[in-house]
Amino acid sequence: MKNPSPPSSSLVRFDPVLLCAVLGLVSFGLVMVYSASAVLAQDKQGDSLYFLKRQLVAAGLGLGAMAVAMKVGWRRLARWAYPLLLAAIVLLVLVNIPGIGSTAGGARRWIRLPGFGLQPAEVAKFAWVVYLSYSLAKKREKVAKFSVGFVPHLALCGILVLLCMMQPDFGSSVLLVFMLFVLLFAAGAKLSYLVGMVLLALPMAYVAIASSPYRMKRILAFMDPWAHRHDVGYQVAESLMSIGSGGVVGLGLGDGRQKLFFLPEAHTDFIFSIIAEETGLIGVGLLVVLYGVVLWRGVRASLAAGETFGTYLGLGISSIIAFQAAVNMCVAMGLLPTKGLTLPFVSYGGSSLVVLMGAAGVLLSLSANTQGAARPSRVGTDMREVAA
Amino acid sequence: MRDFKAARAPEPNAKWLKLRVRLLFGLFLMLLGVAFGRAVQLQVFEQEKLRGMAQDQYVRHIEIPARRGDIFDRRGTPLAQSVEVDSIWVDPSMLPDVKAASRALAKALKLDPDELGARLARARRFAWVKRQAKPAEVAAVKALALPGMGFSKEPKRFYPQRELGAHVVGTVGMDGRGLEGLELAFQDELSGQNSSTSGFRDAKGRKLLVQGALDPLQRQGAAVTLTLDRHLQYVAEKALSRAVEDAKAVAGMAVVLDPRTGELLAVANHPRFNPNTPESSSRSGMRNRAALDTFEPGSTLKAFVVAAAMEEKAITADSLFFCENGAWRVGRHTINDTHSYGWLTPQVILQKSSNICMAKIAQAMGREKFVKGYQAFGFAERTGLSLPGEGRGVLPFPKAEVSLATQSFGQGMTATAVQIAAAYGALANDGVLMRPYLVSKVVDPDGVVLLENRPTELRRAVSAKVARQVVGMLESVVAKGGTALKAAMEDYRVAGKTGTAQKADPVARGYSDKRIASFVGVVPAESPRAVILVVVDEPKTDVYGGTVAAPAFKEIATAAMAHLAVPPSRTVAPEVAVAAESPAPAAAKPGANASGAARTALADAVTETPEPGTVRVPDLQGEVGREAVVKLLAAALEPQVLGSGRVVSQTPAAGSLVEKGARVTLELAARQ
Repeated sequence: MKNPSPPSSSLVRFDPVLLCAVLGLVSFGLVMVYSASAVLAQDKQGDSLYFLKRQLVAAGLGLGAMAVAMKVGWRRLARWAYPLLLAAIVLLVLVNIPGIGSTAGGARRWIRLPGFGLQPAEVAKFAWVVYLSYSLAKKREKVAKFSVGFVPHLALCGILVLLCMMQPDFGSSVLLVFMLFVLLFAAGAKLSYLVGMVLLALPMAYVAIASSPYRMKRILAFMDPWAHRHDVGYQVAESLMSIGSGGVVGLGLGDGRQKLFFLPEAHTDFIFSIIAEETGLIGVGLLVVLYGVVLWRGVRASLAAGETFGTYLGLGISSIIAFQAAVNMCVAMGLLPTKGLTLPFVSYGGSSLVVLMGAAGVLLSLSANTQGAARPSRVGTDMREVAA
Repeated sequence: MRDFKAARAPEPNAKWLKLRVRLLFGLFLMLLGVAFGRAVQLQVFEQEKLRGMAQDQYVRHIEIPARRGDIFDRRGTPLAQSVEVDSIWVDPSMLPDVKAASRALAKALKLDPDELGARLARARRFAWVKRQAKPAEVAAVKALALPGMGFSKEPKRFYPQRELGAHVVGTVGMDGRGLEGLELAFQDELSGQNSSTSGFRDAKGRKLLVQGALDPLQRQGAAVTLTLDRHLQYVAEKALSRAVEDAKAVAGMAVVLDPRTGELLAVANHPRFNPNTPESSSRSGMRNRAALDTFEPGSTLKAFVVAAAMEEKAITADSLFFCENGAWRVGRHTINDTHSYGWLTPQVILQKSSNICMAKIAQAMGREKFVKGYQAFGFAERTGLSLPGEGRGVLPFPKAEVSLATQSFGQGMTATAVQIAAAYGALANDGVLMRPYLVSKVVDPDGVVLLENRPTELRRAVSAKVARQVVGMLESVVAKGGTALKAAMEDYRVAGKTGTAQKADPVARGYSDKRIASFVGVVPAESPRAVILVVVDEPKTDVYGGTVAAPAFKEIATAAMAHLAVPPSRTVAPEVAVAAESPAPAAAKPGANASGAARTALADAVTETPEPGTVRVPDLQGEVGREAVVKLLAAALEPQVLGSGRVVSQTPAAGSLVEKGARVTLELAARQ
């Protein structure tokens, strides 16, 4: 499109629309992270650029991860399904060990390494999708069988969820369960099992919520943020005010008021509120369109993959992005209770950005629609599709 | 790798897979659509509401109160000033522990911890802890080092002369707005423009930006200069207080007026109040009754009837009237004098204060000329002192014979103390009525004169000759045989008149045995420099103006003459003057009580019914608000109710004679 480079350039093979959408989201995110965090950074770190610098480094690493994924190609990921999952489980165990895992905001979610913090849950989400795609593709029709298609995945999911809940990280747990649901559905699991799973999950979710006063408060805050606007509903109420004051055209970049300590987590989980306040409905529309494009091109690429593993993988990655984006926005706008899910590519957070950009690289390699990383052939796919 | 290859083979259920993937795609698009729809709802339809709520918390209007203008006496002595004091407030949401914090604050400021705790718990982001705190208290709170505390400068009104002139100056409320007196009347001018600037703040309550610079001139109110003289005001208040206390009276008023200009040099009220602590006195106790409230003046008004009658040539200085030996029937009523007199000239009528002969003079004039005579002296006409709620007084047209009679000696009509003083000023000023005034200048900080009062001639009430003649006659009042010997001064000639009015009885709808004793004097009589009126409300020891009010007059007059540097009168010979001007035969005073001064007569027997068009204000003290309103409506009066509960005070007072449809203000309060 915008790139008039010769066809020999390796970029041409990848879906330029998807690439632009992802890079657009990342750039938009960098601008908004700076706008949302500058005041806080100045106040806490004495450097208004503190969070922006860190996010820039993460974006750089993310670009690297993306390039590697595009180069390596999605097919080779199948081999990494088990090691990735194992690594994720190890990391999730480690993060729960006091001394290794570091605590922020009442949850032990980071493994603090020199210079940066690693969030195992972000890795786990990706590893989970890769593993599920691989496993479901391998089992093919047997997926419909309860013992083969259902039980092992459910058990593994249970382990991951348990590890997440120990931190605690409710949002990631929900996402993991949701991905299982999505991919099982795509792979043709029996609907009765899925419905049963939901019915089974509901009382468990209820226990999880009711057992934790802070989750209960979040539900209360969600039910009526205005009634609780000075305690538990504070964040949502501030977020709603922030979004509302943006109006159609917004207050202008950098001119938002709510980030002046009114809105906690303005640069992470609630960055959407600042985007809505400063860029208005126009910015929100742009954001939604970008996510829509990523979803559309991602699903398109996954359908064109020609192999179930690729289809599942593409669908899983697109789903992670779209689901997180939609849930994050709905939370910020008071449609869902607070979860702790970030806005993909946009929220401040290195682990999330690097992993997501790597995942986007996988999607892009799917869009290249080749057998391997090196063969630029659309024709092969089309033929295969015809053959199928 | 093997599995991998297997997965690569064409899927039999590929169609179904695509369908399911597309279904999921649709679901996610829908989710994103829902998010966008919600954004539309929030940002388009609820935008205004939410933006307003947001602004409420980040835009803090920083009200910078203007420094209230000062109030000065005529010589530039400040009577009311503004000083800046600290007020302490807190953002309770910043306090880690509201209860502990309020306990600590209450201890430091000697406040009630429970009340403060409750107040802070109620407030969200702002609560006053203590307004207008002392510097030591501010330091104590700062030492606590609590988060969220704020200190702001607030101007506080300070009255350096304390009680002096307090009723005239008035006072301000906690918010700095005028509550009473000139502080209320000149609220707009004194307050200046409060400059309001909007600043953004962060959630920690810190000011981030203050938009716009402040113009210091804009921040100051105008200065008000009064005609009052601090020294005369002091003397008048002191003398009045002594007179009221000596007579065990309930209240009193005194007015000192310059007859040549109409300037009010002193306006005193008793009981006094300290405007620095307005909460310690009631609203009615702060009322400048001398300027605002009307009452039935009594015999002090006789001088105007005589003057008007002479002006109309209804009588001459030599006319003789028969005083009926002390009792005269008018219709169904009997008018009495305290002593029985026979034939008297106008001068002796005034000297002895004969009611019967005054009634005859009024008859000789006729009703129209009689009423016009009073009106010429400014009665039933607002003086325009620029004070809110100033009474006008009522002068009902005397249709009944007895009304004409009672009005001739100042009953059945009302006037304010300032009106009476101003009318005497006309007699003293060769018959020209000057408009009385209290505020000479209002100047804003830029030097622009917002208001300036200059001596203003209202009208000629009577000719100069008549005025001088009447003043001459009044000199006999303080002379031997007059009613106010105690008002006579050693070095100055005094012309004056006593008054001992009956107060209307709100219960019996007639007159009570309560009195208003007064004396009004003009000094020096040959070239008047001051009109001094002293009114004592409900004296208990003795009820006569000549005994109760005259000594206070003398005290004020002595100080005033010295203060105004008035040379002593050369011819201190009132008797001689009287003798020269009074050719009345000795036989004319057959019943005169030679031994003592004749006392002011009382209209004891006069059971008066109000003239059509006027009503007496019922006594509503202690009534429940609704019943009081019903009673007022039944009496054809317009109620105006302040507060709730039972009536604690009413204006005009019970028994006052007012026009039908007049407004009666009731102050209600809940009784404990």
